[in-house]
Amino acid sequence: MSDQISFTLDNKTVTAEPGETIWQIAKRCGTTIPHLCHKDEKDYRPDGNCRACMVQIDGERILAASCIRTPTNGMKVTTDGERVEKSRAMVFELLTADMPAREESPDSGADFWLWAESMGISSSRLPKGEAPCQDITNPAIAVNLDACISCGLCVRACREVQVNDVIGMGGRGTFSYPVFDLHDDMGNSTCVTCGECVQACPTGALFEKSLMDDTSTTRIIKEVDKVVDSVCPYCGVGCLTKVSVKDNRIVQIDGRDGPANENRLCVKGRFGYDYAMNPERLIKPLIRRDDAPKSADAYLSHSDIMDVFREATWEEALDKAAGGLKTIHDRESGRSIAGFGSAKGSNEEAYLFQKFIRQGFGTNNVDHCTRLCHASSVVALLEGIGSGAVTAPFMAADDADCMIIIGARPAQNHPVAATYIKRAVKNGTKLVIIDPRRQELMRHADYSLQFKSGTDVALLNAMINTIITEGLTNDAYIAEYVEGYEALKTEISAFTPEEMAPICGIEAQTIREVARLYANSEKSIIYWGMGISQHVHGTDNARALIALALITGQIGRPGTGLHPLRGQNNVRPLPGLRLFPTEFP
Amino acid sequence: MTPQAGQKKGFRRNSAFPKGRPLDETAYSEVVSLLDGKSLAKDLLIEHLHILQDEFGCLHARHLRALGEHMRLSQAEVYEVASFYHHFDIVKEADAAPAPVTIRICDSISCSLRGADEIIEAAKNAVDPAKVRIVNAPCMGACDHAPAAQIGKRPLFKVTMKSLLEAVETGNLKPDLPDYINLESYLDEGGYALLKKINDGTLTADQIIETLSQSGLRGLGGAGFPAGKKWTFVRSYDGPRMMTINGDEGEPGTFKDRYYLGKDPHRMIEGALIAARAVEAEAVYLYMRDEYPELLEILATEIKSLENSGIIPADYFILRRGAGAYICGEESAMIESIEGKRGLPRHRPPYIAQVGLFGRPTLNHNVETVYWLRDILEKGAEWFTSQGQKNHPGFRSYSVSGRVKNPGVKLAPAGITLNELVSQYCNGMEDGHSLKGYLPGGASGGILPASLADEPLDFGTLEKHGSFVGSHAVVVLSDKDNIKDAVLNLMRFFEDESCGQCTPCRAGTEKMVQLLQSDNPDLDLVTELGDVMRDASICGLGQAAPNPVSHLFKYFREEL
Repeated sequence: MSDQISFTLDNKTVTAEPGETIWQIAKRCGTTIPHLCHKDEKDYRPDGNCRACMVQIDGERILAASCIRTPTNGMKVTTDGERVEKSRAMVFELLTADMPAREESPDSGADFWLWAESMGISSSRLPKGEAPCQDITNPAIAVNLDACISCGLCVRACREVQVNDVIGMGGRGTFSYPVFDLHDDMGNSTCVTCGECVQACPTGALFEKSLMDDTSTTRIIKEVDKVVDSVCPYCGVGCLTKVSVKDNRIVQIDGRDGPANENRLCVKGRFGYDYAMNPERLIKPLIRRDDAPKSADAYLSHSDIMDVFREATWEEALDKAAGGLKTIHDRESGRSIAGFGSAKGSNEEAYLFQKFIRQGFGTNNVDHCTRLCHASSVVALLEGIGSGAVTAPFMAADDADCMIIIGARPAQNHPVAATYIKRAVKNGTKLVIIDPRRQELMRHADYSLQFKSGTDVALLNAMINTIITEGLTNDAYIAEYVEGYEALKTEISAFTPEEMAPICGIEAQTIREVARLYANSEKSIIYWGMGISQHVHGTDNARALIALALITGQIGRPGTGLHPLRGQNNVRPLPGLRLFPTEFP
Repeated sequence: MTPQAGQKKGFRRNSAFPKGRPLDETAYSEVVSLLDGKSLAKDLLIEHLHILQDEFGCLHARHLRALGEHMRLSQAEVYEVASFYHHFDIVKEADAAPAPVTIRICDSISCSLRGADEIIEAAKNAVDPAKVRIVNAPCMGACDHAPAAQIGKRPLFKVTMKSLLEAVETGNLKPDLPDYINLESYLDEGGYALLKKINDGTLTADQIIETLSQSGLRGLGGAGFPAGKKWTFVRSYDGPRMMTINGDEGEPGTFKDRYYLGKDPHRMIEGALIAARAVEAEAVYLYMRDEYPELLEILATEIKSLENSGIIPADYFILRRGAGAYICGEESAMIESIEGKRGLPRHRPPYIAQVGLFGRPTLNHNVETVYWLRDILEKGAEWFTSQGQKNHPGFRSYSVSGRVKNPGVKLAPAGITLNELVSQYCNGMEDGHSLKGYLPGGASGGILPASLADEPLDFGTLEKHGSFVGSHAVVVLSDKDNIKDAVLNLMRFFEDESCGQCTPCRAGTEKMVQLLQSDNPDLDLVTELGDVMRDASICGLGQAAPNPVSHLFKYFREEL
């Protein structure tokens, strides 16, 4: 490329791409410069504040932070030498002075200590300053600010990567420390415990309690037996994880660089793993005792479960279950048996399960949890665009100019997906949220339409009406790809915003503005959730959204499309495997 | 912010509601009505915090929560800004509000020399803390009337315990306005005629820059960058461009901007408008420090008059109020503050001439730099250059305070020596005092000994002594003053005023104070620390902070 930059790095001529920092180039050339406030991961902006990565540039009065500095043609940069090393060492000494001793610190294996060790620094000649208090009010995360170096990585993690905006850098000077909300206790703040800050912190000032002693002051689990690559078992976002195991127990989960999460996790994926080790978890088959009384309102708790059940071997339990099913089948045929699968199972399990019900009992009485949530969307999508799938990933938010979120609360239910949506808003994408209940995401929205429950069709039809009557349709797209437009046009003519306003509780003017915004934006995308589909008019709701996209041509291009957000991590393939009654695989 | 403040529990979590502080509906409607008709753009956060602080005497957590809601900011975004500035008092649910009357007493060098520390101690014991709060404050630009204080927004000069208690008794918290030249009088004596000439094309930007370059006018905020060159740089970047005027005169010992604006504010405004015109700036932002309430009032009035008279369009010349942060005198920190953020200096490059206010190429000048523009353009470059000494063109406004008979703003030739300045402009040393040393450029320039009192005071002349003339704030120390105490005063100032962004300055200033306070400071360690602060701090604060310590070791070793 013509705009490549040629400069000298440690006496060697090096070529750099525009925007590449000296730190990145040095790393590429085999020199990893010490760094604390800089996290070498996607979406972490370098900040240049810790001054651990200083390098010398010929002709400049002072040293430069390599993590944030880009070279210019002919520049001469030196990454080592007495001046640079003295400076870096003093930075570590300044920080070490105020830290607890390594073995007593929250994370003796933190990057800070690894770098200090590599530079031969274990103590400081400088006097210790005032230490702030500990905050252990969050159930999963300990905040030990005596180990904090005010580098702001947690702030960038919370504000720029996850866009939760809970952590700020409060105070100033020596008292510059990360704070939650208005300097509240972490456990009382709006923190959603996504743990991004823990993953980012270079000192352990923010750290997992699961690895620490009883007082949440010092790390005690220092080594793990193995780290297993896995996938989050919760929602449909599909975050990749790294699971650390010690003594056959999960002790820590970190995000892995997956296409849907890029190292991010939410509270569920990072901290919601204790169920695997819960003593109440069934690990042996139980069979109902013959002498156990049957009662419809019996309250069963783990402590008295043996009053009702007894332990059994797998052989006995399987025989018992199979026998029971066979008895029913023999007595009343397969019609009396139904199988209900789960979108959390694997594809293989789903296939086997429907086969088991269909072939084993000769019945189509098979279905799974999507019946409750996603089926209405699937029906509408199959009918409207011929495929029951999303037409774009949620990361299409990055490319969109306008996003509509309706009947969904992704910040709560799909937190990692919401990070991309919020980040897009910070980068200028317009956001419309349509939800009868207020939600935190509305802080980011250009339009928040708190309409009357159940009036989705009225509101959406008024938008369609606006788009058609104001001539905002994409006629070329309609001519090429859309069927039945004339019928829609006729049908919709009575649904004016003025007529619909009293029904849905949103002013006609607002409906018009939102419709215009959606139609006129270069690229618009619609996200919806259970508020659309778990509804007596669920299919109609989804049909109206599809119609919006089709008449405006806001589909089939990057940054456009239709995206029903799903709640289970394997929901997408199951219709294909026909874990439902209407079609065979 | 104290390290303990986070432990206060003001509200309790109810699991039936979302996490975090609930919105207080009353507080929300109070905020909404106070901000009625005002823009909710994010850059106005500090302005809106001022409105709340002025109304309630502090910032209640419930109002901060409501302000965030109204401005669509998170609580953290509001808190981090509010807690950065000294003039905001955040009160959490479990905390008591501050006393209704606040007296800030300056404890910076010139006031400290005149007994401010003793007065602060005595005042803290003498007043009823339920009614009056005594707060230590950094330099408030009244060093020629030391010790200075402020009760509410009313400046108090040459404070004694007696005058302080009288001021409490009187209860007047508003400033008296100085007798200044208002728009009408300024127009009467030919004001804004020059601007008109530029607006109608009689005088072109190139002609102005030519005259300016010939005059050798340099940035008088402290850096001394040639003004003409700066304009040329800014003009070389594609528009739209912006202009900022730095009225955050916080360098201890400096009070010249206050002096000029209190006399003739329109001379500065016209200069700013001329400069803005020359670089085709879309708008001019004037950042005025909150320590000068009388100037804030005058400027607001006069800008309004200018808009009403049609000389400037509305929303073109915008006044922004600081909130107590020395670092915002650093141009990029000031820009951050105008954008409604914490005043953290930016990394360079890019320089603000390229990427400045709201990301646009920005011309920034100190108040005094543009104040002289009209005179230079009307009277010619020669008029200005001829008033300097050999090799030192032009005059300078020296803010002189400390042990001289007649302190004040002294308009004297550039390159004058300290000895000349004291004898010819200040009526000599105070009786009974003999010169021991002097600060040539506020806290940052360090302390030079009497033996260097014949050095010319100008940009570039003192660098060989590890010093600089900066904002020309000259503080004179005598044989009655303890240099180590003075150095500690300056270091504590830097510690208090460090923005906290980079390690060498945040931790370095704090460690430096601790090391100097010890009976037997490790000189090698202090020197090593100073070297790294100079070499690795992001901005001039951290880079210059070790200067006084170096001078203490170099010139005043016997005082250790």
